[in-house]
This record gives sequence, structure tokens and C-alpha cells, in this order.
Amino acid sequence: MPASRRNTVERLDRPSSYATSKNRRKNNRRDDDQRREPTPEFDDKLKEATTLYVGNLSFYTTEEQIHELFSKCGEIKRLVMGLDRFQKTPCGFCFVEYYTHQDALDCMKYIGGTKLDERVIRTDLDEGFAEGRQYGRGKSGGQVRDEYRNEFDPGRGGYGRAYADEYYDD
Amino acid sequence: MSRSRSQWDTGEPMELDLPYRPACSPNITSTDSSDTNCIRQNVYIHPERSALMQDDSSFSHTEVDPRDLDFRFRPSVESSNLALSSSRSRSKYIRRTRHKSPPRRRSDRYEEPRIYTYDSYIPSYRRRRISDSSDHSRSRRDHLTTNTDPLPSQFAQRAESPLVVAMADLDMRADDRDDRRDRGRYNRDNRGGNNKRRRDDEDDHHYTPRDDRRVSQRRRRDDPRDGHRRGRYEEPPFPKLRRMIINIASTAKLPEDESIEIARLLRDNFDDDDVRNQFFDVFTQLIIDQPFKIPFVAAVAFYGNQIKAEITVEAMKRVGARLQDALAAGQWREFKLLLRFFACLQPIFEEDGIFSLLGQLFDTVVDLQSANENDVVGIELVKTILLTMPYAIASGGSRFHEKANELLNSTGIVAGNTLSVEGFIHPYDDELEETVINYHSVIGLLQQQLTSESQSGWKLACIPKFHVDALQRTNPEETLSTAPATHVFPTFTIPSPVNPGPKPLFPEAYFSLFANSESSTVPALTDIAASLIRDAIVDTIDQLDFNREVVAKFLVDLDCYWSHGTFANRGIALDKFVQEFGTDKKTYKSEDMAIDAIFSLLFKLPTSEHKLVYYHSLITQCCKAAPAAIAPSLGRAIRTIYKNLHAMDLELGHRFLDWFSHHLSNFEFRWRWAEWIDDLKLSKLEPKKAFIIAALDKEIRLSFAKRVRQTLPEEFSQLIPVRLDEDISPEFKYEKSETPYAAEGQMLLQQLRKKATHEQVQETIDKIHSQAEEQGITDVLVPSTDAFVTAICRLGAKSLSHFLSCVERGRERLLNIAQESESARRQIVTSVVEYWKDQPGIAVRIVDLLLNYTILAPMTVIQWVFGEHMGAGEALTESWVFEMVSNTVTKVTNRNRQIASARLQKGLPAEQVEMVDATLTKDRDNARELFKYIADACQGLSEGAADGLIEKETSGALSAEDGQLIRAWGKRWNMVFIRKSAIEESVVGEQAVEAKIKFLAAQPEPEIVELAKVDDTNGAAAENGDSMVE
Repeated sequence: MPASRRNTVERLDRPSSYATSKNRRKNNRRDDDQRREPTPEFDDKLKEATTLYVGNLSFYTTEEQIHELFSKCGEIKRLVMGLDRFQKTPCGFCFVEYYTHQDALDCMKYIGGTKLDERVIRTDLDEGFAEGRQYGRGKSGGQVRDEYRNEFDPGRGGYGRAYADEYYDD
Repeated sequence: MSRSRSQWDTGEPMELDLPYRPACSPNITSTDSSDTNCIRQNVYIHPERSALMQDDSSFSHTEVDPRDLDFRFRPSVESSNLALSSSRSRSKYIRRTRHKSPPRRRSDRYEEPRIYTYDSYIPSYRRRRISDSSDHSRSRRDHLTTNTDPLPSQFAQRAESPLVVAMADLDMRADDRDDRRDRGRYNRDNRGGNNKRRRDDEDDHHYTPRDDRRVSQRRRRDDPRDGHRRGRYEEPPFPKLRRMIINIASTAKLPEDESIEIARLLRDNFDDDDVRNQFFDVFTQLIIDQPFKIPFVAAVAFYGNQIKAEITVEAMKRVGARLQDALAAGQWREFKLLLRFFACLQPIFEEDGIFSLLGQLFDTVVDLQSANENDVVGIELVKTILLTMPYAIASGGSRFHEKANELLNSTGIVAGNTLSVEGFIHPYDDELEETVINYHSVIGLLQQQLTSESQSGWKLACIPKFHVDALQRTNPEETLSTAPATHVFPTFTIPSPVNPGPKPLFPEAYFSLFANSESSTVPALTDIAASLIRDAIVDTIDQLDFNREVVAKFLVDLDCYWSHGTFANRGIALDKFVQEFGTDKKTYKSEDMAIDAIFSLLFKLPTSEHKLVYYHSLITQCCKAAPAAIAPSLGRAIRTIYKNLHAMDLELGHRFLDWFSHHLSNFEFRWRWAEWIDDLKLSKLEPKKAFIIAALDKEIRLSFAKRVRQTLPEEFSQLIPVRLDEDISPEFKYEKSETPYAAEGQMLLQQLRKKATHEQVQETIDKIHSQAEEQGITDVLVPSTDAFVTAICRLGAKSLSHFLSCVERGRERLLNIAQESESARRQIVTSVVEYWKDQPGIAVRIVDLLLNYTILAPMTVIQWVFGEHMGAGEALTESWVFEMVSNTVTKVTNRNRQIASARLQKGLPAEQVEMVDATLTKDRDNARELFKYIADACQGLSEGAADGLIEKETSGALSAEDGQLIRAWGKRWNMVFIRKSAIEESVVGEQAVEAKIKFLAAQPEPEIVELAKVDDTNGAAAENGDSMVE
């Protein structure tokens, strides 16, 4: 009876609702065509997930730095740096893949929300890296969030790129 | 701007009662909540609960501006929407308190109404925020953002100064970006939608695990901003009960009253099956999750017995079932905690109560110990018995003293016994240094403490106690018609054979940094409080590893869970503490106890319960939660450890190093390096100097050289090579023409870059071979390997991925080298380390990767370290060498453990059993060979018998003192690997594996193994979205 084993304290190693809503979107799309039961496939994926999405990195954070920190939670199987789609330079996120699910969970608990390169980083369970996901999806090649930022963030290319011209013209 | 919404702005009721119980804040109970002004003016604090936070020196703010008193009702110091939010939050507060509980009956024990002065009531989260905002003015991007902080500047300054002063000790500041958004996380946009945008914003700085949980439909619909006010809302019974029990002893009320209130509410809803079932689920889980609260949870059952005996019967049934499961599965920690619940109920049991079970357990111990003198399960059981006893005596009273003394007499033999394996787990070499804590086994110490406690009449001062007649006092009309029921102690079966549990057990050492200090901020080793409080802290930390934020909060609130007067005021400065409590050995400093406990876990031998990084992040979290209180304690801890580094176990020294550098990386690398300047003059072979060098290297690995250099005094700068400041690859030695085989080396680089064919590369290599032959080099493969590997390093210098793709290109050749010549194989390591000599961390990482490719074998690395690299033994001081060796050893032992656990699978087919057994035997022998090699080498160095050492000592290249230092290093190295080897034997050795196989065969059902797993699931799919602390 899993309900009785529910912890009295919230867990830090649960996937964010970003991952969950991603699944929801997928299912909704299908709903238009034909009604079908929500597949358990997605939950299973995250239950065994060994990959983490790591966000809010500085553009200048190196693979070695990430290795140094993340290997404190277990041996790293693969590290994929997030790149600007056009310039092929790091754009502030990465995927870290461990050998075991437990390592990934531990990383969520112990490393998520701490600092790397003096920035508080974000970790989220991920269903697994697929080719193409290493690139930013923003209009100008980086991450979407870097398009419209009106604060200056020196670690992530200054102002949002959509505004950059405006600011720099002044 | 997006960071402006406050917590008062949220629609989340749970948050509302929490701000009144944060660190160092006063407890507030309003007597008449119908009048807004009354809330502000008539606040009562129970004298016991209030003393915890009065007169809090490090936080005190002397001047009080009456206008500041209104501050509490401001939505936020930064809210731009002041008026609106303020009125809304106020009304919400009133509503909340109105339906929460009837006005508290004031008894004579309460003091006169007290009006809060600013300095006593400003809650810590607010203080933190004040410090944040002052921080912000200094942050690098703040000059570019407009200041939206409406806080009067003099206020901010006033708040800042004591914080800064207090923290100056560690030079550490509160994290500036930590919780500002957390507070407003629920509806920073109250409109519900706009999730995408919010997520992207959230991504910006914040880690908010539940950031995007939407507000419930009902709450959104009822949002007062929509123009219609929400009607009065009765909280349904279960959520209310759940909230009350989870927050027990953490709120403003007296825990006694809370327990009674919960029991009454439960009585009213006892017939509702759902409510009852769900409540007891939470009830049981709470015992396991939050060990501090066990006495209070038990109090619910205790008063429940007087209110409605069925409550207690049900509680015992549910907790008992879980206890039996834990016992059967060998979940010793859970078993201990659940047993403590029964111990706290001792007064309601007939006859001996829990002592009958403790007696049975001890009989089991005797059986176990007589069957096997090295038995560790028995030790675990004795620990459980000894830690349960005090709770039973504290609650049961004097009629059990006799029984307790009897039991204590019998446990003495087991507790006083020393196992051979205990020789490996000494945190300090106590022959070497007198100021450190001597080795004490946890149970040995417990036995002594309990014995002295029994001689002084079992005072057990720190355990919270409850009044039997509290019920009548809170409500005199409700007198009981009959005396409360007594119960038969439930029967439990102790399985035979006893399940040793899923984790390998070891005896434990009691570790404390402060126990020997003169200021007596923590209980003396002879004081039972040392073990009791430590045990509860340790369990809290290890049980709740999945939420360090909550653990940090518990540690800050430590004084709530122990009897009044156990601790001095929070955040009290050390000198003030010594002045007030220096002679009083029964009052402790809660921060020191928390830090002491965390370090005891970080320094637990042979292995820590969780990954070490958990304890790193927990300390970081504590510093964020209560910077002014924790930082000075932490500073003292660091200095204590640093001072005795030479006597500390080498592995622990490395754990400290790892933590220290990681911790500083979270706090802008602030540390008072200046106080260690004198140690720079020391020889490189001195542990302190070696530590400084290693710490800087580790810091650079997590950051970059230029940044770290900025944080250091000038004197330290020379320890960081200048070259590292420029962001360029290390030089390629073949670019210099004087290097042998320069042309060929460069050629190889070109060829690798252009992905030349195998033949072309071979041509270049052959050229090196022929030249080497001419020079009379015996193994020509060595220089060619050097050139080839160095070229790969150069080409892959950009990043580890680049390196890996280069290795991929030369993989076949490298594997061939590995097959052909051992010396060439070791040359691979030499070349890598030489290329990355200024950044040995990268070399360590690369060697690790090459082991995975089997280009290197574990033995290659070990032989290289103790052969090519060791010199006279100077290499022993280099932390990265230790890292390389222990990484390699860990790789080997992990593999063996995997194989062993594969062997222990239930229902493995016979032919596979054979195969697994064969692999295990082979790999076990390999591991033994590896350990033996290390042990021999270390032994040689520690006894001064190693060739390199003798050579240099006789030639005078090494002074006699340095020779002694190297011997000491050799001894410490030896200890580490002897221990590792012994531990592996106890886990994957023939005896251990056979014993486990035998045990498994004796088990009828395999389900026991499953039980351990349930709690570990993170519930990826489950909707377990509630929590106790936001």
C-alpha cells in the first residue's frame, strides 16, 4: 500500500511538472484523433531515468567543472553540453547521464539548487537525451529564456537577445 | 519585477502559521483573533516556549520605531503592491486563526500579555530577507536594476549590521538569491495560466522543486481579487489532523496542548474510517520520518488513551505492525524509532511494558554473540536497547528504575567488548595528538553514560516530559469517569535467524569536534544528552536525506524538540555562552550540536550513510537557513579540524578537503585565508600545507584559477601557476625542438587532427621506434606511446568530450599498447599526468575514463603511482594521487559488490550461479592482489624501507624531519587501504557471501527485500504533493 508510505515531508527528487506537462501535451495531441488510454510509458521512463537536465549554467561553465561537481553523486556515463544552435557554443544547460537511477535521484536531492560556478543550478529528471536536444530552441539559437530577459546576466550573455540591440544602442 | 511578490500574497494556508515558528522568532498565540489590533497587541507566549527566543543577542535590534511594529503585516519588504496585499493578508490571517481553534484558555501558568518589541518578534526569514536586500546592493548586476525595495534604508542598515558582525567569523554571507522567490512561489502570477513564462523565469535563478504546482481550482476560483470574497471555509477533518500532527511541536503552542487538541479532534472523527486510516498512516510515517517528534506523537496516543482508549489501541496496532515489518526486514533504524514510540507510552502498559521486549532482544543478542564473536547485528541491537531505555524511563517514571538497572547490568559485557574491526574506524590517531577526541564506540559510551545516569537517579533532563493530568488542566469539566485504561504490551516475534538487513553493519565510533573544547557548548562525553540528542539529530538527517531544506530547518529549530532549558538561546555568541553557561554543564549550544552531528556523519567510518555530497549540501543549507547562528560554529569546526589534520584519518582528511572546497564554492570562496599565512612557510610534506595546496586545486576545479586567485591574499597567489589565468591549453612539449622526437610528435598531432589512416600513423610511430632503438632504449614502445598519448591530450584539450572523441580514434592502438607492454601502458598514465601537470584534476578524470575503456588496468594505475610517480614518497602528500588510487580501488570494489549482489539474487539458475561464482572468485583475487600491492608499498614507506626513500635520505636530498613526515604519510595511507580491504572482505569475502546465501536459503519469502525499497521511491508518478514546510 504505497499510500501509507507517503513521506510526511516533500521530496526534492520528484520530477518537475515541466517533464510531466510535456507528457500531458503529447497525450492531448493524440486525443484529437482517437481516444486512448494515457500510456504508462512516460512514468516508467522517469521511474528509471538516469539522465538529468541541468539548467541555469553560465555560458562559461566547462565540462570539467560540471564533471567535478556532478561526479560527487556517482560516476557520470555521459555529459552533453547544451549548445547554441548556430554558433555551437555552450548556451547554459546540459544533460548529465548517470549509470543508475539512484544516482540521478541523489543528484536531484543533493546538487539541485546548489551553486556551480557561483550560480544556483536547477536539475530535473529527464526522459533521456535524444539527438537534437542539445541545441537551444530560441529564435537566435540559445535557450528561449535568454531571448527575453530584461535583466543583465553577465554569465548568460547580458540582456535577452531580443532586447540586446535596444540596450546596447543606448 | 518578478521577484516582488511576498508569501503573504499567496493563497496557501499552510504557510500562514509557519512564519510564527521560524528560527529565533517568538511564538505567537492570539487570544482573541476577532480584532485585528488584538492580534498585534495581545500576544501571549508560553514562558517555556518563549524563552527560546528572547534576548537573542546576535539578532537584537535595539531601537524600536513604533511604525516598524506594523511591519509584520506588510506583505513583503519589497512588494510594490503594498496596500492591497497588506489588507488581504491581514484578513486572511484573521480568518485563519478564527477557525483554527477556539481561543486558548489561559491558565495561571501564563505570563502577563506581552507586547512584542521589534527585536523579539521579527522572524528570521524576514531578517534574512533584510540581509538579502542589503546584499543585493553589492551584487554585480544590481547597479543595473532599479531598486524596488521600499524598506526604509535606516531599517536595512540596522538589520544588516549585527548579521554582518556575527558572520564575520566565517566571512560568509547569506545566499542572496535563495528564497526570495520561494516565498512567493505559489502564485507569483495569481492568474493561474502563464506557466510557460513563469517556468522560464524560474529557470533564471531558482530551484523550486514544486514551483509550478498550480493553485487548486477552488482556491483560484475563490481568489479574492476576483471581486467576491471567499466565504468562511471549514477545513475538513483529515487535512486538519494531518497538518496538526505534522507540525506538532513546531508551532507556537505548548506541545502538550497540541497533543490533546489532536486527540480530541481525532475522537470526534474516529468513526470515519477514511479519516482514521489516513491519520494513522501519517502518524506512523511521522515516527519514521521525523524522529525529533516521536515523544510528541506518542503524547497524542497517551492523552488519546484518556480521551478515548480506542485511539491508543489503534495507534499501537498500526505502529506495531510497522515495527514487526522493520524487525523482520532488519531495518534497524526504523525499528529503533518505532520502538521509541512504544517506550514513550510506557506508563500505559501493564507490568513491565517495553522492558519485556527489551529483555527478549537482549536474549537474542546473547544468542548472536555466542554463535559468532564478531557479530555486528547484536551490537546494533544493544544500541537500540540502550537508546530506547532512557525514553521508557523518562515517561514511565521511577517504578521502572529497578528494571532498567537490571538490564543495564547485563548489557555491560556486550557494550564493553571491543571487536577487532573497531581498530579500523578510529577517526583520529589518538596516540599522536592529545587534543582530539579519543576513540569511543557508540555503545560503549552509551553504557557508561547510562550507568552514571542511573547512579544519579535517572534525571534524563533533556527528554521532553508530559504531565499526566494535563487533560484536566486544559479542560477541568472533562473529568474522566474511570481511570485511564492500561494495555498489555503487544507481542512481537523476533525472527530466527535474525535478518541482518540490507546494508552491511559496522560498529560505530562516537565523533565530536567540540566535546573536548573548554567552552562546553556540547554535552560532555559522560553526559547521556550527548548520545540522546546526537542520535536523534543523526536519524533526522539520515532519514530525511530527500529534503535537506526541511532538515536544515529542524536543525535550526533543535531547541523546540527537547525539554526547556536544554539549550541556550539560538545564535548566542560563544563568549556570551561561556559567560552565562560556562559552568553549567547541562545547557548546550544548539548550533554546535547540529554542526557536530553533521560532521560526525561526514566523518563516519568506514562509509557514510548517504553520499558525502548530501552532508555538503546540508551544511550549505544550514548556512542559508540561519547564517548568523551557524557560520561561527562552522568556522570553529573548520579550525578544529585543520589544527589536527596530521592526526586525522587520511580518508577523513580527504572528505574534509572535498567538503571545504565545495562549501566555499557555494559561498563565493570566502574564507579567512589570512589566518593560515604562517603555514605557507611549512614544508610541502606537512599535512597543513598539503591541505592548503589541495584545497586551492579543488576550488579551481569547481571554478577557474583567476576567480580563485581573486579571493586569496597575495601570499597564496604563488600556489596557483600563472599560466592557468589564461584560458589556453597546456603546452605541447613536441612544439619545442629540443624535445626528443619533436618532429614525429608534431606529425602525430597533425595526423590525428586530419584523421589519418592507421598506416600513416604507424609510419610515424615506426620512425620513433627506429630512433629509440638507435639510442639504446629497451622498450621502444614507451617513447612512441608518449608521443601518441600526448598528441591525443593536446588535440582533446578543449574538453573531456573532445578528449574522448580523440581516444575513440586511437582506441585500437591504445588497446594494443596495453596488451603488448606493461611499461608502455604505464607510460600512458605518465603522459596524461605530465600534460595536465598544472591541472591534476583533469588527469585524474582522464585516467578514470581510460580505466573504463580498459586501456588501463587498475593495477597499471596502482603500479604507476607507487612506482614511476612515488619518488621518495613525496607523492603521498598530493591529494590528487590519493584520489586517483582510491577512485581506482573503488571501481574494483564496486564491481565486486555488484557481482556479489548478483549472486545473491533469489532464483538464479544453476548454470548462472556457477558463472557468477567463477567471476566473483577471479575478481576477488584480483582485488586482493591490488590491496596487497598497495599495502606493501605503503608499509615500506611507513617503515622507511622503500628504496626511493632510503636513497634520498642517504644522499641527503631529504632531511631527517622530511623523512619522518613521509613515514607518517605512509602510515596514514596504509591505514586507509587496510581498512578498505578489510571492509571488502566483510562484504564480498567468501565467508560473508556464503553466510548471506545461507540466510537467503532459510528465508521462506523473498518479499522482505522489497520492503526496503518502498520508501526510496521518489514517487515519480504518485501525487504526493503535500509537505510540512514550504
